[in-house]
Amino acid sequence: MRLLLLVIVLFFSVNLQAQQALKPVVAKPVKDTLVLKLDSSKTQIRKFDNQAIQKLKTEKEFQYGEEESERLSWWERFWSAFWRWIGKLFASDEQSSGSSIWPTILKYGAMVVFVVLVTLAVFKLAGIDLKLFAGKSKSVEVPYDESLENIHEISFDDEIENALQHHNYRLAVRLLYLRTLKILSDREIIDWQPNKTNLAYVREVENEKGYEQFPQLTYQFEYIWYGDFKIDKSTYDTLQESFQQFNETVK
Amino acid sequence: MEQEMFNQRTDLSQLNQAVAQIRQQLGKIIVGQTETIDLLIAGLLANGHLLLEGVPGVAKTLSAKLVAKSIAATFSRIQFTPDLMPSDVLGTAVFSPKTAEFQFRQGPIFGNIILVDEINRAPAKTQSALFEAMEERQVTVDGHTYKLEEPFMVLATQNPVEQEGTYRLPEAQLDRFLFKVEIKYPSLEEEIAILEQQHQQDTRLQLAEVKPVLDVAQILALRATIKSLFVEPKLLAYAAQIVHETRQNKALYLGASPRASLALVNSAKAMAAMAGRDFVTPDDIIKVAVPVLAHRVMLSPEKEMEGLTTSDIIGQIIKKIEVPR
Repeated sequence: MRLLLLVIVLFFSVNLQAQQALKPVVAKPVKDTLVLKLDSSKTQIRKFDNQAIQKLKTEKEFQYGEEESERLSWWERFWSAFWRWIGKLFASDEQSSGSSIWPTILKYGAMVVFVVLVTLAVFKLAGIDLKLFAGKSKSVEVPYDESLENIHEISFDDEIENALQHHNYRLAVRLLYLRTLKILSDREIIDWQPNKTNLAYVREVENEKGYEQFPQLTYQFEYIWYGDFKIDKSTYDTLQESFQQFNETVK
Repeated sequence: MEQEMFNQRTDLSQLNQAVAQIRQQLGKIIVGQTETIDLLIAGLLANGHLLLEGVPGVAKTLSAKLVAKSIAATFSRIQFTPDLMPSDVLGTAVFSPKTAEFQFRQGPIFGNIILVDEINRAPAKTQSALFEAMEERQVTVDGHTYKLEEPFMVLATQNPVEQEGTYRLPEAQLDRFLFKVEIKYPSLEEEIAILEQQHQQDTRLQLAEVKPVLDVAQILALRATIKSLFVEPKLLAYAAQIVHETRQNKALYLGASPRASLALVNSAKAMAAMAGRDFVTPDDIIKVAVPVLAHRVMLSPEKEMEGLTTSDIIGQIIKKIEVPR
């Protein structure tokens, strides 16, 4: 503790002495005189000895260019050539030959392409969607799941017959409705799409003449199929007649 | 012929009458906005909470008040502010000198229809006070659980999140709202009609004239009826597929929950009942898909930067899925 106190006291005392030793320095007044001395010696212009330079260039010790070793692999030689090409490309304009504008265009064009390629590579690696810069996209990205039933491939007569044999009148009505949709689609009266609802098809024909019965048939199909209303043979026969009449009108 | 062929299995006459009356009451003050009115009624019948979003001045609060006034039930209003505390909503224990005990004093959440005005003006701490009440219809304070009376419905209004001084609602709370109803600006014709109808009228007096058309018992009965409606199994799968796709879609950072699937089916049932049917069609599901799902999902940052909305993505998803037929 004492030692510490002694060190502190000594430190401050030295510092105090150092401060006391400082005296303000007052600049002496300088005579306001100016004497100009002109350099009258003769200038000698020195020139390089071109012959000596050319001679030195031939010596191996002064050839600083990268040596293309035969021992380099083709991959190393490719990169060596690539970087030499890049070096030439980015060399100053003065070194470029002639007064044509094309080297400059090529140079900056190559720079733009290079930057774009690097940016694309970075975006790809980062997993950023490049459509981000293409504005608002409303496109559907994922295709439809494979439709279990294609109305253009169903053999309606056979399937309806099969349903009736099993007294499945509900399924038979469904097939009647799907057949009507197929006929409307074949006649290009409706645009058949798997994602469209029945109401969408009703809206497509509502302003057309001759299809007034279609909303009614849709209504009946929905009650039976989605509403699970039970129907018997006589009700089915009535409905089948309605569908038949409508289909003949369309044909 | 249909009436002979398809005998009505469920009596929806009372429901249809009530819906017509509510539409009439709301139509007295609100011009146009038919889709909004339908969603408000569907939310009421489907036992859901509703979030009304729109810029200031598009009658969000008025719409909520009108729905509340069309029902003969207790009504509370809570104005959410940045300094609102959870105890201001739920209630708090107050010391009673007479009994020398703490007694629970109920907050405004204890009511049938709760209007939470400007819900996103309060921070998440206060908003989370609603979690238990909205989902479990009960409030737990100091270890005691207090059941809320049925029907319990939260009608919340909010400005879009970009507005000054607003906070985004927590996902857990957004998921508890059956619909987010976006109230848009009226068309020019509607605006002219609003001016013609309202410029000499006092809205407060008009609001006072609105009479309740349903009481608590009727509401509960209608809800039970809607709950019992038939949904074809393929349509249940269709609803589930829509919700499932929100979890697979790369444009969405957060997909919808199973609670959303239930909400989709229940609200589609309400839509079917309002259309006079006791069964659901694909159109009913599509009609409610955006109001049910858009606020429950989150866009990926890239799609957000593209300027897409969650409603756009839900629309795309619906277009991808084959309608069962």
